Amino acid sequence: MRVVAVIAINVFRESVRDKVLYNLVLFAVLLMGVSYLLGQLTAGNEIKIIKDLGLAAMSLFGLFIAVFIGIGLVSKEVDRRSIYALLAKPISRQQFITGKYTGLVLTLLVNVTVMTLAFYAVLGAMAWKEGAWFQPHWETPALDPALLKAIAMIFLQLMIVTAVALLFSTFSSPMLAAALTVGLYVVGHFNADLKHFENVVDSKPAVYLARALYYVLPNMAPFDIKAQVVHGAAVPNGVLMLNTAYAALYILALVSAATFIFIRRDFK
Amino acid sequence: MTRPGHPVIFASTLAVLMSLALGVQLTRDRLYAQMLTENRLMYVTSPKAMEKVALSYDSILADVYWVRALQHFGGERLKEGNGQYDLLFPMLDLTTSLDPRFVVAYRFGAIFLAEAQPGGAGRPDLAIALLKKGVAANPEKWDYYHDIGFVYYWNLHDYKQAAEWFGRGGDLPGAPWWLKTYAGVMLARGGDRQASRQMWFQLGQTANSDWLKQTAQLRLMQLAALDTIDALKRVRDTYANRSGKLPESWDQLIAARLLRGVPVDPAGTPYTLNFATGEINVSGYSKLYPLPTEPAAAPELAATAPK
Amino acid sequence: MYAIRTENLTKDFSIGFWRPRPYRALSDVTLTVEQGETFGFLGPNGAGKTTTLKLLMQLIYPTSGYAEILGRPVGDIEVKRRIGYLPESPYFYDYLTAEELLTYFASLHGYNRAEQRRRVSTLLDEVGIAAERRLQLRKFSKGMLQRVGIAQALLNDPEVVFLDEPMSGLDPLGRREVRNLILKLRDRGCTVFFSSHVLADAEALCSRVGILAGGRLVASGRVADLQAFQVRGWELVVGSLSTDTLAQHRHRIQRATTIARDQYALELQLSPDPIALLRDLVAGGAQVISLNPMRETLEDYFVRQVATHPATSRMDEPAKEAS
Repeated sequence: MRVVAVIAINVFRESVRDKVLYNLVLFAVLLMGVSYLLGQLTAGNEIKIIKDLGLAAMSLFGLFIAVFIGIGLVSKEVDRRSIYALLAKPISRQQFITGKYTGLVLTLLVNVTVMTLAFYAVLGAMAWKEGAWFQPHWETPALDPALLKAIAMIFLQLMIVTAVALLFSTFSSPMLAAALTVGLYVVGHFNADLKHFENVVDSKPAVYLARALYYVLPNMAPFDIKAQVVHGAAVPNGVLMLNTAYAALYILALVSAATFIFIRRDFK
Repeated sequence: MTRPGHPVIFASTLAVLMSLALGVQLTRDRLYAQMLTENRLMYVTSPKAMEKVALSYDSILADVYWVRALQHFGGERLKEGNGQYDLLFPMLDLTTSLDPRFVVAYRFGAIFLAEAQPGGAGRPDLAIALLKKGVAANPEKWDYYHDIGFVYYWNLHDYKQAAEWFGRGGDLPGAPWWLKTYAGVMLARGGDRQASRQMWFQLGQTANSDWLKQTAQLRLMQLAALDTIDALKRVRDTYANRSGKLPESWDQLIAARLLRGVPVDPAGTPYTLNFATGEINVSGYSKLYPLPTEPAAAPELAATAPK
Repeated sequence: MYAIRTENLTKDFSIGFWRPRPYRALSDVTLTVEQGETFGFLGPNGAGKTTTLKLLMQLIYPTSGYAEILGRPVGDIEVKRRIGYLPESPYFYDYLTAEELLTYFASLHGYNRAEQRRRVSTLLDEVGIAAERRLQLRKFSKGMLQRVGIAQALLNDPEVVFLDEPMSGLDPLGRREVRNLILKLRDRGCTVFFSSHVLADAEALCSRVGILAGGRLVASGRVADLQAFQVRGWELVVGSLSTDTLAQHRHRIQRATTIARDQYALELQLSPDPIALLRDLVAGGAQVISLNPMRETLEDYFVRQVATHPATSRMDEPAKEAS
């Protein structure tokens, strides 16, 4: 697995040199700017708004990175033909795919970690201004560790989206891959409604199709616990563990599919 | 030297992984269903915000919220009397804001927001608020006027208001003739079982969704049961006058030749006779239980009714 | 054990989206390359040279047939440790420097840090881009990229080196350097398999060649053997040849080319024996500078072989047996 690590680190290096990590600057500026503005405008509830904003921004920025780097992970190397020299080295195509996936996940991990630190820093600064870490009218403390649960779930979502992007990258052009990946993400959020499709449409075949799709497509909505965490509602650890298990299995399936397609491909 | 990778092995691996993933999903849904439905609403509660977010996909989002409203309602219904239905109005509000012409959503709200617990949310005020939105969005549709009048009549027992709304609806071009009749009846007599029966009958006729048809049928059966109970009360009183005490069971009445057999309600369950108080009602096991609180007659209205 | 061996290697592609038709890019290519040989793989554009190399690198899979390198089937990872590959018009990662790229590839080979550094430095010097080691590859010219490509192919001291058009994009100086490099590899005992258009280089460098045309191997063998009996005439270079003497014997000369004043290169037919003419010219006052047999060049041989297997018509026709 040393080869996988080498390839992964190279993916990370490419992201850095492609100036992807500048999004962190945007994130920090956004949070700090908004927190300052809120301080001028409303009284109370700024902490909640910043929490909402921070989590949403983490999710969105992460999504952009996952999609826009993910779709090019394989197709860029194939189109530019840098893959010719690479595959002549003593590595297998499986190692290549795994390395690419791990590399992007690593990039996302670094991204999310830095964002989390910035996030807590801004929350800490706001709470310090209020004079206490926890005010009675807040639903949750400013530096609530439960936020980490929401962030972990966001990260799992990003890992799934990355795997989807990787899969499409192995056989389709970047444009198409981007459209399909984003599409799957959106559908994934409304996935649960597919199960009860019979309430909207009358035709039986459509209902069966919808139900089949519900089972096959990635179910993203349960990973979204931002609202619960911000409002202080309890999130049982069982849900977190089951989510993690689901994500692991689904990602394994996607990466296997990507590997299978990739090892059988001709590079024309 | 064929291509590497066995399609069969791969396909089976994929199938195994996906089934496991599916299994995890089902387990999670079953164990933690409550949590999952809640979170979907909390984020955007304001219809105005939702309209902005929806971009040009209002109709499909309206459908989504409609489905969720039904799910929520169904879920609460299953809680055997502990249902809160607290998300019903917000969801219907969102549905109708995204698609102001979503007729069935307004009607659903009219019936089940107004209906008392445990069958519904018990909030006729919310029902009327929702319907007034419908009137504002579709002023030429008599249906919403009718539904508002109906809520005033059936749930709030406010006959003046009911009459007014029935009247306004009846004035619209294309409105059915019986709307104005309702108005007249309200003003003349207030609560009237025949009027109730008529209203529910009409609702059942024009219903194009199952739940409305079923509700209308149920109500009609309940009204018929009320008629029968009135008759049974007269029989009971006859017996009481003759024998000087209340009957203790249906058999006594049958023996006294006042009844031909054990009386059975339209749902097929025998009525109950409480031998201590003499009260006659549908059985607690009957589908028709509990009977609705009818709009009562209000004779004082007659004094102010136009001639 | 052969360094490279293919057996009836065939590759079909499908062309067209709506009604895909098979296009036979390679047809029954069977060749062997001994260890230590320098093998030139020649052919016109579209003949299938790059396709063959890609099949050997397992970048594409054959429709039928078999290929092996150093006794193991192509794609074997252990064998990849002992070979190097330079793709045609190589592209590497823009955002890396030359040094970083080579280090990256070296780490994929499994060398430790110290060993990586050593090899990278050595090769950067050897291909002559040591000065640009810290420059990002996106700033490299085509010639420089070609050198980087050669460097990365040699990182692991390979036993067999595959070069796809190694001279392309290089100026004459660069070509000379690559030529010397190939000679050095040959001296080290490395097997070199390279494809090229530049026949003169192949002539000079290769012990054996294979000529590919229309997807078929139309000829292969030692360069000398291919030309052995193809002497087609004599070239006599004379000086101090007066115009009169030239005119006198003009009918015996096929072609006369003026090199300088009174100096001519005369092309003579194979027979009769040129000695007679030579004596006559000398008697007329000329000075003999050189007399050499004129062999068919590899190019002549090449063009002759290729002419019987035209490549262009294949694009419109379904795969079929060539005559």
